[in-house]
Amino acid sequence: MSNQTQQNQNALQLKKVMQAIPKEINEEAPTKDPLGDLISQISTRKVPVNSLTRLWALGSMQAKIAVGYLAYAMRSIFSNKNEQERILNETHLAAALKLLGTMGYLRGAVMKIGQLLGNLPHIVPEEVAETMERLQFEAPPMHYSLIREVFLDEFGAEPSELFATFDKKAFAAASLGQVHRATLKSGEEVAVKIQYPNMAATIRSDMANLRKTLMPMKLKQEGRYIFDHLDDAEIMLHHETDYTREAAFMAQVKELFGPEDLVVVPKVWEDYSNQRILTTDYLKGKHLRDYLPTNPDQEHRDHFGTLISRAVFRIYGAAKTIYADPHPGNFLFLDDDRLGLIDFGCYRTLSEEEWEVQIGAEKALMEGDAKGLDKAIAASCLFASVEEMEPERLDYLRRLSFWQAEPMQTQGPFAFGDKDFFQRGIDIYSESVKRGYNRHNSLYNWWARLISGHRTLLYRLNSNVDYRHIYIDEKTY
Amino acid sequence: MRITQKAKEKTAKNILRAAEQLFTDVGYKDTTTRQIAQKAGIATGTLFNYFPSKEALAMSLLAEEIQQGRGDYLKRRSGDEDFGEDLFLLISSELRRLKPYRNFVGPVLESTMSLFSKESSCPAGESTRSEHLQMVRDIIHAHGFSKIPDYISTTLYWSLYLGILAFWSTDESRNQEETLALMDYSINVFTQTISNSAL
Repeated sequence: MSNQTQQNQNALQLKKVMQAIPKEINEEAPTKDPLGDLISQISTRKVPVNSLTRLWALGSMQAKIAVGYLAYAMRSIFSNKNEQERILNETHLAAALKLLGTMGYLRGAVMKIGQLLGNLPHIVPEEVAETMERLQFEAPPMHYSLIREVFLDEFGAEPSELFATFDKKAFAAASLGQVHRATLKSGEEVAVKIQYPNMAATIRSDMANLRKTLMPMKLKQEGRYIFDHLDDAEIMLHHETDYTREAAFMAQVKELFGPEDLVVVPKVWEDYSNQRILTTDYLKGKHLRDYLPTNPDQEHRDHFGTLISRAVFRIYGAAKTIYADPHPGNFLFLDDDRLGLIDFGCYRTLSEEEWEVQIGAEKALMEGDAKGLDKAIAASCLFASVEEMEPERLDYLRRLSFWQAEPMQTQGPFAFGDKDFFQRGIDIYSESVKRGYNRHNSLYNWWARLISGHRTLLYRLNSNVDYRHIYIDEKTY
Repeated sequence: MRITQKAKEKTAKNILRAAEQLFTDVGYKDTTTRQIAQKAGIATGTLFNYFPSKEALAMSLLAEEIQQGRGDYLKRRSGDEDFGEDLFLLISSELRRLKPYRNFVGPVLESTMSLFSKESSCPAGESTRSEHLQMVRDIIHAHGFSKIPDYISTTLYWSLYLGILAFWSTDESRNQEETLALMDYSINVFTQTISNSAL
């Protein structure tokens, strides 16, 4: 069997993913209890098509792919013992997806929730790379009248009073808001990230509704873990609404890099920042989608791949933190060959206990300690012992671990642009969705985000990186 | 001795300032017309020559602020706002002026600007309504929306506007940010309605 055929058989095809979206998404739910009413209300919500109504996220192909994946992942954990159960599950699934659609004020969240709930794997490299990027750049716009009110509420002054100049139009979208260029009265050029009003409360209430919608589904035993992941997703989204928290982490990370590292973290301007507004130095550079068309030579591709990898390892090793949002919109390729890191809303610091477990697993993996690795895998999947695990699951997780560790175990430059390597990862993640594997510590959702994001980025960059060398260099334990 | 117009205006202003002070210190509900008259240095009966009720008095206070808010709007407007943005600026400028009185906007508007009466129960309420709606009509026309008859668009708008005021008056979210999101969404819906090309 050729490689290509093998890939086609293992990977989830786009067609299958799209077929997973319930056809009867507009059908009214039959129940009349409060939950039924909620579902009915959500299910019958019409999809607005006018561009003025910006609250519907599922209009774009990219969002549909994310939701299709989610639907596919959910079906794999359904328990459909009889027709009645199947209908109930489908009704609730349609409502849940509808609800996710209306959460499109933060389009990026659809992707994030999708990833966290289903460990969202990738379809094919090119498609997913574009999907990730476009979703992140599609947040709803706030007009200047609204921005002015947010500023008056937060700082008691209009942007025009606070800054020497302030661009009325945003130059970039963030998942929970948008970014404007401005100049401080002291002359510095800054980027001002402004959050859409009432995000935190909206997320809370939407997630509560989502939980209510999913709760009555008849799921396999394994499926119940999805609620832990949902809790985790909510924590992540909630953290992202607190720009003070992001500013603190940004300052911490800034300290980790010196001029010799060629990695730049913008300075936070505290006097112009708070929970809802974050003002940082403006970095002039290109995002990946603008950088790639300049046809950078191999040396530059390798250089930036190396910087990205070093940045991620440094944050992990020195701050014991998973930088969990390595999507292209968060990296800037500067003209002087430095790398800019510009978004720090999504990260997860490990507790001492988690750190110890992590080091143990890593050691076992790197030293070829098969028993130690199995033990670590069992613990990460919340099993008391290796014996409790089904052999297929253990085998699957071993393969996943090996794929994740492969670049660290390879001497010399590792070719991240190798399609075969990337595809193997996609196939492995797809397998998890097909098998409905959800039983694991939610920490590994963050890992999955980091690893899949990093690998996608370097795949698109077509970088050769001496990953093992960086890993050893940045190791703090 | 005849009381001059100027003296009348001065007394009316004194009453309004006294009421403003008491509403802030004692609360709207617990303030009586007698206390207001006392603080303004006039007899209670005299107060009623100026304002027929506590609600009408409070409405005059709010009307002053709304008028100032409209003035702020005209100053803040740059002219390059689109329709929704323009309308948002008008409403938010008024709300900002009304902010110190937020805790009694509800009961006052309820009695003076009910949706069920064609006219407000007091002149201050009536002029506030007609001036505000005139401004909204001007904005609608300035942006070229003419597909819907004025009485329909203003009726739709007015119920939306009162809804926003009612929500805002009891909004407990930080800086009433929930109202900002509501306004943004509502104005979008309104814009969509009056610009609907199918009509």
